[in-house]
Amino acid sequence: MNKKLIGIALVAAMALSMTACGGSTESTTDTVESPAAAADSDAAQADADAEADAETEAEKTEAEVKTDALTDDAVDGGFTEYPIFEDEEVGFLNVSAVYFQPVPMSGGNESIEDFNIHLEADVSALENNLGFGVGDWVPYMTVDYKVTASSGDTAAEGSFMVMSASDGPHYGANIKLPDADTYSIEFTFHSPEENGYLLHVDEETGPGGSFDDYFADGNLVVTYDGWEYVPQEW
Amino acid sequence: MLKYFIMTAEALLMGAIVTGVSMGYARSRYPKSWKLSLLIGMALGVIGAGVMAYLKNATRLIDTSLWNMRNFIAAAVLLVLFLILTALQRPLHKGKLGTAAEIVTCSLLGLESALIIFYALPDVLAYPYVILLTEKSVLSTTFMLKTIGIIFGILMSIVILCAIYQGMQRLTGTGRFLLLLLVLLIHTARQVTVVLRIMLTKHIIASNHTLFEIAKFSSNHDNWFTFAAIGAAAIIPVLLLVSSLHVDEPYRNPAEHRKIRKKWRLTRSWSVLVLVCMVCSVLNLTAIKTYANREIALSPVEDATITDGNVVVRFEQVEDGHLHRFAYVTDDNVQIRFIVIKKPNSSAYGIGLDACDICGETGYYEKNGQVVCNLCDVVMNVNTIGFKGGCNPIVIPYSIENGSIYVPIDGLLEYEKEFK
Repeated sequence: MNKKLIGIALVAAMALSMTACGGSTESTTDTVESPAAAADSDAAQADADAEADAETEAEKTEAEVKTDALTDDAVDGGFTEYPIFEDEEVGFLNVSAVYFQPVPMSGGNESIEDFNIHLEADVSALENNLGFGVGDWVPYMTVDYKVTASSGDTAAEGSFMVMSASDGPHYGANIKLPDADTYSIEFTFHSPEENGYLLHVDEETGPGGSFDDYFADGNLVVTYDGWEYVPQEW
Repeated sequence: MLKYFIMTAEALLMGAIVTGVSMGYARSRYPKSWKLSLLIGMALGVIGAGVMAYLKNATRLIDTSLWNMRNFIAAAVLLVLFLILTALQRPLHKGKLGTAAEIVTCSLLGLESALIIFYALPDVLAYPYVILLTEKSVLSTTFMLKTIGIIFGILMSIVILCAIYQGMQRLTGTGRFLLLLLVLLIHTARQVTVVLRIMLTKHIIASNHTLFEIAKFSSNHDNWFTFAAIGAAAIIPVLLLVSSLHVDEPYRNPAEHRKIRKKWRLTRSWSVLVLVCMVCSVLNLTAIKTYANREIALSPVEDATITDGNVVVRFEQVEDGHLHRFAYVTDDNVQIRFIVIKKPNSSAYGIGLDACDICGETGYYEKNGQVVCNLCDVVMNVNTIGFKGGCNPIVIPYSIENGSIYVPIDGLLEYEKEFK
């Protein structure tokens, strides 16, 4: 009987001590900076300027990632965004890419069975003459994504869907990316005009510009090489 | 069903092996103390897994990676403590501390089992929730079939655990300890690589080329650890079967002889069961998994006539309410496919490209009267086929005249690039 009691006490004590251990770790992670705060603090160190090269068909930007920033996780309980690159500027767009766990979405897109991550392009407007306020989300674009493995094979490609999460609207998709690798990622932004987005063109009410000011040479493209990705258990 | 059976069996396999060898070892080595510690450990693991499954899916409190990391570090510490105590066992047994040391050692194994159950089981317990994201009702056939797959997966894991437990008990002392050590080391080695990956991903440690390459290699070959554990577990029946060939235990009368023969018959039976389980596990992780995840072959393209710049489909070809696939082959030999399905309880037809904006030219197939995307398994609402959005087929122009559907070739050619 005594033996049994000792056994129960030991197992329980060890289990409790492990729980306590977990608790202390959690309190540390709770102090992790939000992405916005981390981006602010790291912005000075990070070399994140884009080189916009006007090319024949599209304006291309080589994105860079702020390498020190992973404390940059947007930690909200179990919801952590993992940045791929941040604050790349192309045309009138500011673009960041993040990924996190696959998420069920409305409209028949609830299945998360076969996906590894939810890839997301956060797009906001820079100074522009299209009527968008700086920092506004830019709607009505078709955004194509392409993820290329280090072998040169295309690992995933398609067009993002448009959706809202708790942090606002964005372009994103659940994708299957089971292999760890150093990937290249490319986002292609089509003009909102392609999807029927109109601008006032009269002097009195128009914003003063046209989409051709930014898309005359073709779609806007952001590329980022060197995304070191390892699948996670979510 | 098959897919969920494999997912469940795979998720629980390492746990079943580790728990089976731990229980078998503890029962043989510490016959007086093993039961309570191991059973409490397993119960703690199952209860913790239930709580974790709920918290992961119903709240925002859980960061799975962080919890896994804590779990694995704790498991590694337990292993070290177990090894230290085992090494000290002989001197301790000579003193009064012997009994306490025995209980502590068993408790460490019990907690090791608790931790691996706590790690592996929550995802399995959450599968019904994941299925319900798409099925909506627990009464749907698909939900029930997938749940049966999960139940069979759990049952198989329990059988593996019991078979290994029984096999371990029948090994001799040194072989039993070495096998336990081998399985625990394989298990811990995997956990170390996972902890490395978590630390890199979360930037808890700074990444460099070498560390990333190690993380990449270990991630892309993670199943090597599972195969290694299967190989280690398969040693049990091999040793037992070899031993059973040279039985020379003394007996004093026929009754004792019968008892010995029965013991070895039973040993051979458990050995065969362990072997069968391990072979099935290997098949699960290889051939059966490949089969379950195979791409579904699309139904063949059906004949349609081409008239005045249109692909013409007659109503009688498509009025059965099933999915029909047609195509136009361009001058560059590109096959541009489109689908036609008569909508339920309607005379209208759902017509669209056999491709969508999100998943590309992967195509659609019909399953149980529903149209499903071949890449992402999204089930289409047949009534919305022909409308833009989500994973719906890309909308194409068409007209209906004289009992036929006319799909302009010009309209199809606009999407030639989708099928390259």
